[in-house]
Amino acid sequence: MNRREEILARVAEVVAIPSCAPKAAALLGDPNADIKDLARVIEHDPGLTANLLKVVNASFFSGSRPMCTAKDAIVKLGTSQVLQFVISTGVALSYVRTVEGYDLAPNMHLQHSVTVGLAAREVGEVLGLDVPDYTYTAGLLSGIGKVLMGAYVKVNVHPILELALERGVPFDKAEDMVLGINHAEVGGILLESWHLPPEITNVVRYHLRPDEYKGESLVLDLVHIGNVLAKMIGVGLGVDGLNYTVSNEVVERLGLSPDMMDLAAVNVVDKVGEVYDLFVECSCDTCTI
Amino acid sequence: MNLLVVNISDMKLSTRAEDVIVTYSLGSCLGVTAYDPELRIGAMVHCLLPTSTAARHKSRENPFMFVNTGVAMMVRQLVDKGAEKKRLIFKAAGGANMRNDNLFNTGARNFEALEKLFARNHVQLAAKEVGGTVPRTLFLHLEDGRTVVRSLGEETEL
Repeated sequence: MNRREEILARVAEVVAIPSCAPKAAALLGDPNADIKDLARVIEHDPGLTANLLKVVNASFFSGSRPMCTAKDAIVKLGTSQVLQFVISTGVALSYVRTVEGYDLAPNMHLQHSVTVGLAAREVGEVLGLDVPDYTYTAGLLSGIGKVLMGAYVKVNVHPILELALERGVPFDKAEDMVLGINHAEVGGILLESWHLPPEITNVVRYHLRPDEYKGESLVLDLVHIGNVLAKMIGVGLGVDGLNYTVSNEVVERLGLSPDMMDLAAVNVVDKVGEVYDLFVECSCDTCTI
Repeated sequence: MNLLVVNISDMKLSTRAEDVIVTYSLGSCLGVTAYDPELRIGAMVHCLLPTSTAARHKSRENPFMFVNTGVAMMVRQLVDKGAEKKRLIFKAAGGANMRNDNLFNTGARNFEALEKLFARNHVQLAAKEVGGTVPRTLFLHLEDGRTVVRSLGEETEL
């Protein structure tokens, strides 16, 4: 079994993504907590969102339209089921191992994921486009493969970094060279196996290399640029830093200018400030990521 | 040791020797420090963009968001605290860029804005660690003006 096959075999065993469930659990224990607060925690947390979408898109809901956002899923499931889901996710995750290598401090990854989602949406708004609802969710989930590799697979990031820093290889290509697979592909494969809709799984899989996607997807373009913008702004950067390639085809297709990017950056920084409390509460010692 | 954290588009100033000013996770943003060795007071600004061309209203709302207004405002506030402009030692870190970026180049534009500002005001930059693709954390130690960059677990004194 080579490294790629080994990683994919582990992916097949994944039942839940690490998340900040303790924070949701704390809300559940608060008699004055509002379901709106809980919904807000879920929809800004990549792990909880992915796990929730897995539940609602499971086969027993087949026949209905696939769910693309946490909000839709919460409405679909109803409050008490959402609460049960959050509790069970929190329990399941106490077995997750953290692996040295990826810089995956829980609040850092959360910050970055939220910023990619906000930035993807903001770039669309600055361009005056009609931004699809699931743009935020797709951006939020785009880095899920990294959480997976860090938590479930023994990834040693040092040889990857060596290639990236000493030979100038983009981080995702260096992952391919060392592991036979990169974190975007891993994330896409996992979410496909959980029956999330292709609108989201294709974005996750191709967000670092949109030029390799055969179809057309505005959300993929927005998330690609959202990821670039989040990395340039520097919210929750990991060891991979800015070591990724910008698709100039996407830039041209969207008609982006430096001024538009600057305006989007200004607006994103303001919006990140509005969800700052989520990051602060997430930096808890009990977090398993 | 007392840590003062500078957020994005933010500035912190201190007159206390036991303070260390820090900004985490500089990507394309530029972190600039200024230190008066005689008075042992200093400051750090974390600028998101070179100028407010794309969002003019913002420079009035928050001058620290931009290199041209942020660094100038930081110097003004240090002078208000008694620092001597001529004595100030300036250092900079950050300004990283994505690969294959032919258009935005925010990191490079941020550093160019600083160079322009300094040239206009006949100010020298004492040290810098800018560009590339790596994330950086920047520290300024008030007790002696030591400026340290941490990147990928390694620390370098500027």
